[in-house]
Amino acid sequence: MSQHRSARSRKAAVTVAFMATASLVLSACGGGGDSDAGGGDGNEVTILVTKHPLTKPMSEMAWVTELEEKADVTIRWEEVSADWDQKKNPLLAAGDVPDLIIGPNAITDSDLATFGTLFEDLSDDMDALPNVQAMFDEVDGAEAMATSLEGPVYSLPSYKRFWPQAITHQYINQQWLDTLGLETPTTWDELFDVLVAFKEGDPNGNGQADEIPLDFSPVGTTGFGYFQPTALLGSTGMTISGGGGSGIFVEDGTVANFFVDERYKDVVAFLNQCWEAGLISEEAFTQDYSTYQSVARGTGDQARVGFSWGWSGSDRFGPGVYEQYAPMAPLMAEAGQSETPSWSYDYENLTRNHLTMSAQAANKDAVLRVVNELYSEDTSMQELFGDIGPNVEKVSDTEYKVLPPADTNLDPSTWKWTSSLADNGAFYIREDATVELPADLAEAVEDAVPLQPAFDALDVDANVWPGPFIKMSSEDLSTISLNNTAIFGVAMPKFAEWITSGGVEEQWDDYVTQLEGLGVTQNDELHQKYYDDYIASK
Amino acid sequence: MALTLDKPPKTAKVSKNGKPTGAGPRVKRHFSRQWQLWVMLIPAIGFTALFAYGPMYGIQLAFREFDFTKGLTGGEWVGLKYFVKFFESPQFWTLMRNTATISLTTLVFGFVAPIFLAILVNQVISRRRKRFTQTATYLPHFISIVVIVGMLQVFLSPSTGLITRFLGFFGIEGVNFLGSTSTFVPVYVISEVWQHCGWNSIIYLAALAGVNTQLYEAARIDGANRFQVIRHIDFPALVPTMVVLLILNMGGVLNAGFEKIFLMQNTLNLPVSEVISTYVYKIGIIGSQFSYSTAIGLFNTAINFAFLVITNQIAKRVSNTSLW
Amino acid sequence: MSTLTRLRSRTPGDIAFTVLVSVSLVVIVFVTLYPIYFVMIASVSAPALVQAGDVSFIPKGINWFGYEQILNDSRIWNGYKNTLIYTVLGTAVNMLVTIPAAYALSRRDFAARRPLMLFFAFTMFFNGGLIPTYMLYKEIGLLNNMWVFILPSALNVYNLIIARAFYEHSLPEELYEAATLDGANHFQFFFKMAIPLSKAILSVIMLYYIVQHWNDFFTGLIFIRDYDKQPLQIVLRDILISNTAFAGGAGGAGGTGGGYGQQFADQIKYGVIVVSTLPVIILYPFLQKYFEKGVMIGSVKG
Repeated sequence: MSQHRSARSRKAAVTVAFMATASLVLSACGGGGDSDAGGGDGNEVTILVTKHPLTKPMSEMAWVTELEEKADVTIRWEEVSADWDQKKNPLLAAGDVPDLIIGPNAITDSDLATFGTLFEDLSDDMDALPNVQAMFDEVDGAEAMATSLEGPVYSLPSYKRFWPQAITHQYINQQWLDTLGLETPTTWDELFDVLVAFKEGDPNGNGQADEIPLDFSPVGTTGFGYFQPTALLGSTGMTISGGGGSGIFVEDGTVANFFVDERYKDVVAFLNQCWEAGLISEEAFTQDYSTYQSVARGTGDQARVGFSWGWSGSDRFGPGVYEQYAPMAPLMAEAGQSETPSWSYDYENLTRNHLTMSAQAANKDAVLRVVNELYSEDTSMQELFGDIGPNVEKVSDTEYKVLPPADTNLDPSTWKWTSSLADNGAFYIREDATVELPADLAEAVEDAVPLQPAFDALDVDANVWPGPFIKMSSEDLSTISLNNTAIFGVAMPKFAEWITSGGVEEQWDDYVTQLEGLGVTQNDELHQKYYDDYIASK
Repeated sequence: MALTLDKPPKTAKVSKNGKPTGAGPRVKRHFSRQWQLWVMLIPAIGFTALFAYGPMYGIQLAFREFDFTKGLTGGEWVGLKYFVKFFESPQFWTLMRNTATISLTTLVFGFVAPIFLAILVNQVISRRRKRFTQTATYLPHFISIVVIVGMLQVFLSPSTGLITRFLGFFGIEGVNFLGSTSTFVPVYVISEVWQHCGWNSIIYLAALAGVNTQLYEAARIDGANRFQVIRHIDFPALVPTMVVLLILNMGGVLNAGFEKIFLMQNTLNLPVSEVISTYVYKIGIIGSQFSYSTAIGLFNTAINFAFLVITNQIAKRVSNTSLW
Repeated sequence: MSTLTRLRSRTPGDIAFTVLVSVSLVVIVFVTLYPIYFVMIASVSAPALVQAGDVSFIPKGINWFGYEQILNDSRIWNGYKNTLIYTVLGTAVNMLVTIPAAYALSRRDFAARRPLMLFFAFTMFFNGGLIPTYMLYKEIGLLNNMWVFILPSALNVYNLIIARAFYEHSLPEELYEAATLDGANHFQFFFKMAIPLSKAILSVIMLYYIVQHWNDFFTGLIFIRDYDKQPLQIVLRDILISNTAFAGGAGGAGGTGGGYGQQFADQIKYGVIVVSTLPVIILYPFLQKYFEKGVMIGSVKG
């Protein structure tokens, strides 16, 4: 039978295979990859950039080619659009740092505290970085933001001046109000009545009770953010920041946590009232962001959501129905209250840790030239909005006009994110530049106008937690974050539970005691310490 | 019937009945007899030694402070500090309870279901239908977790979900499958079993394929009905595989998988859905808590390993199958 | 045995049994196939309708945008190519390393087998962690090198244990004794007897390794920096994430592409599944025949 031959040939095959494997291993060890940090030849610069997934390849951006020419370098890009936090740790721990890392908080304060020695102290190099120096001189707080607790400047922020002070904007379906003959609500009670009317009056006229009176962005398990019901805290006079975050807020110079504040209880109670009346979307706690957004777009020209929070009308509600909506001013919790309604005070113009430089860069001068170029006027504009030509028109030396999308299928925001690094880049937009904003940004700025009165009377220093400007020691950061994990583990489920099943009044006192024991008090003290230092240093 | 080989054996002088007479000669005898087995094992041992044991020193990180300037293992020795920190953390018992509940439930159902499925599929006589059934049942295994969770959200949505509406016909109303502490574990386990049952039954089907067909014929002749055939032929054929897989699965007793749970977590089910792996992820993303997360990971695997050893010992006593 | 023969010898008990089995299997197949079917129709349906739960049995709002996005992305084809290479080479190495070792460990008279098993099993639980592993790869030159997909994963202990169990229990002891009495050594027995008789387990283990390589995305994520070396799963994950980026909320604050990205996110999600699993689905039937009854080449009598 053929067993005879196949056995022998199989044996030979296996021996060959064993030897092949062995030699493969050896060659693999020798051959090695090209995972080096720092440039190879004289003018090569390696840059790792964390991009939004929609952004096109860096090599396709004209301003990149321009930059390479001006700085006389060749750039090798490593583009990361997903899973950066998983890739980052081994990279840093093994010391495999590229010449530059660009991206919004790509390297966090905590990373800088742990791995500080990997990064270049840019304060030594400011002579080579006049554009960055200009930013430090002209923008309040930029230098403070860049300086770490011990003094070195390990990272650079970005400054884009056009964003409104409030990111979360409040919307109500004006067309529905008109159809039902209602006034824009000014208090929580009035809002409640309006929502009930939305639910029962079939304002979208399709004969079905499919209206969702109130919907909000999914609340995660690690604190609050933009477009969430914490926006209502402003009604009580409290000023939060960043949509709420971990609950820290400042009032008349005292730092506290709203998770254990009575006013938070009031907001939750109100929301519970709404939930029981069927005014909140059933899916509010289980849907994901894309479902939440697509529901609001309704069908054709029939809207489905009555009241919500978002960035801009067209972003939140889509081209079909956004014109039905009108931006609103903050509500009052109660009619005739003495507290002025406030709103979440956000910091989106000066954002930190957009650029870090390796301490081991082989061609230091070349790298510094690149950094300086990035912060130059034209390049900054192009990083944010796209190339001059297809995306931006340069009207004069200080005047720019952002053009509508060349691809008419895209909305301006998607167009921006596809064309360039957009908000993720490392740039400095000059104060003296006049810019005609793209439609979506202009719209967002418009929608923020009704909220402005909340900030007019605000003493920012005494009433806003200056998050982006605070630098903490790594030990304190660690304590705070561990406490927060424990706190969120209790507080976030309670938030959802109280709204959907009630019980906030009965359980409140025990809950407060529990949270204080889990670290709220300790966190408040730590935050207070840093806040006091910050205010004193101003 | 003796086997005939084409060539006279080369190592004819080996005797199986030699008795060891001392350590030196014993080792030599072992090697002269067994050297070929060692050759067959060398690649496996080599790769394992290099890639698995090579980095093993990193475990020390669980017992040291991570100090980047001193290298990975140069940090100060702190012994059990991080373990104690974990045990004393307010979430410890919740995490253990949640992880164990999810893991064990998945383990039990996930272990039993493939066996039943394999036996069932094995009953199909028509080859084409059998292949079709096999292929149909293993397909879900390849769907990525992101999509599985996405589908769960569509099917179980409180207002528009297909399953929600279907169950509504049977009078099961008002249950929020995605956002309830009582439904999280069932939804998780059922979707796990559904997804992997077919794939996991492959190994059992392979074992059943090796059953001597003559046994079936003999049983038929003896008048056994199909139940009895399963009980006395199919099932025993699966026992060795079952035992091995059970031991291996017990080694995963605290391994509630990260990605799926993380995607399914929301504020309503968090009290039962926060497990060790998601906790480690959360403390990891904010601070570089290397030592702490290594310590927790080590604790987790130590428990898993202990269970594996115990199950292995039990298996050794009760059956003659075990890992070592 | 033909169906007809079976029918004739049926008792009422048998018939009830068959009905039970058939019904159970039909339900199981439906429950398993429906979601797959759903994935396929969702991959060509309008995403808003899918989200709203309107798509149940037929696709609605058919459009091929998802597939266009995926297949027009040139990175996909490079990814496919890379995955094929890594899978073929990787599985070859896997089989060469695992099967002989499994056989060796299954020999009851091999004195070192228990300690060796412990040596291997220990590594299933305890490992040094990602960072020491990264540093090791860096030192031996595996970083950013295609061999990182093949060498470190050469041995999967789980598969080793399963293969060993097979050799221990399904290879008749009599066969082995007879061969040894005839003076056969291990190599000869292994090649002439063990391998031919273990086609079922070889197919299973090979399938496991193929799928393991096929689905691997973690290796490429951490250890590869050059995009052109990335396997399919990484490319697909990038495409997937690009379109579900908004899951984290308004990330980057203000204007995160409310437009098409969001709208078609889910459609692409489903399309990605189809693209990624199609090859494996096609492969499986070829291996299936090894799992079927009667594969054993006869048996030992007496």
